[in-house]
Amino acid sequence: MPHPVRLLLIGGALFAAAGCASNDEWTTWKDHRTHFASGEHMFFSVKNREGTSARVSRGDIAMARDEGWWGKPITVSQEQILER
Amino acid sequence: MSGSRLGLLAGAAGVALIITGAAFAAPPDDRILPAEMHQSDKARTLAAKHGRALRDLSAEIYHCLPWVETRKHSIGFYKPRHVQDDRRFLSIRLYIEQEPSPQFARLSIEQRASAMFSRYVGAVLKRMTRQPAVRNDDTIDGFTVILEWLKQVPEGGQRPVHETIAAFVDKVDGESYLSGQLTMRDLATKARVLGWDGETSVGALKLAAWDDDFVSTFRVKNYQPDPTISCRQ
Repeated sequence: MPHPVRLLLIGGALFAAAGCASNDEWTTWKDHRTHFASGEHMFFSVKNREGTSARVSRGDIAMARDEGWWGKPITVSQEQILER
Repeated sequence: MSGSRLGLLAGAAGVALIITGAAFAAPPDDRILPAEMHQSDKARTLAAKHGRALRDLSAEIYHCLPWVETRKHSIGFYKPRHVQDDRRFLSIRLYIEQEPSPQFARLSIEQRASAMFSRYVGAVLKRMTRQPAVRNDDTIDGFTVILEWLKQVPEGGQRPVHETIAAFVDKVDGESYLSGQLTMRDLATKARVLGWDGETSVGALKLAAWDDDFVSTFRVKNYQPDPTISCRQ
């Protein structure tokens, strides 16, 4: 039976490998700046709205954003960062 | 339900859509903290003096970076919490709408913060200082650029969690960057950058930034900005 410390070390190494990006991934991200092109999931609904032209206005984007809203986010409040 | 009643409802819905569409044509007025809501004379004076520049900044972000969102009171002459005196930084807070990427999520928080800093801080700094009156105002002590993004796609009805960084750039360093004396890498070294995972502070972050021209090259497919707005780099 493997020693508990060895199991812990193996588990830790697996956790680290799963939780962090490899150097290759980091390089890939830096070299391919559109890899996570902004807003793709949001604009999907804009592009697929029936009966609209291909032209997308700022109003279309605002409505698509509202429709695709994930819900009230957990995020730091402005007051924790800045004072008026 | 009678046909005439259905027609009335459809008409009302149509009017509501038109009104909604019209309302989305310009950034909401509440994106800027009103001058009178700043809590020092210095801040109120700055906000009143540069009100036009703040409105232009809000409009430019709204129309030219449509994948970015400003929220209520996102723009103003705020005092960073960590400074002692009444030092006033022109500040903006942006939510960046982007597709949550598993690859991006696997990066360390310093790497994600470096990527976002590289992509947005310089570009936003240029837009914050479009007006010479702002850039040349020695009573502005610096600039704060707060960036937040969705950490990962929420699962099973859970609330979404945002990651946030706040980059505080002293005026002299901002000016050195804008005039080409500092690179983006230097700017990241000079700036104080704090991070949050949701509501939890992760403290000061050491970033390795680089030049990223995403903001000046990315175009939302088929997006037509308001023709009255000039989108410059």
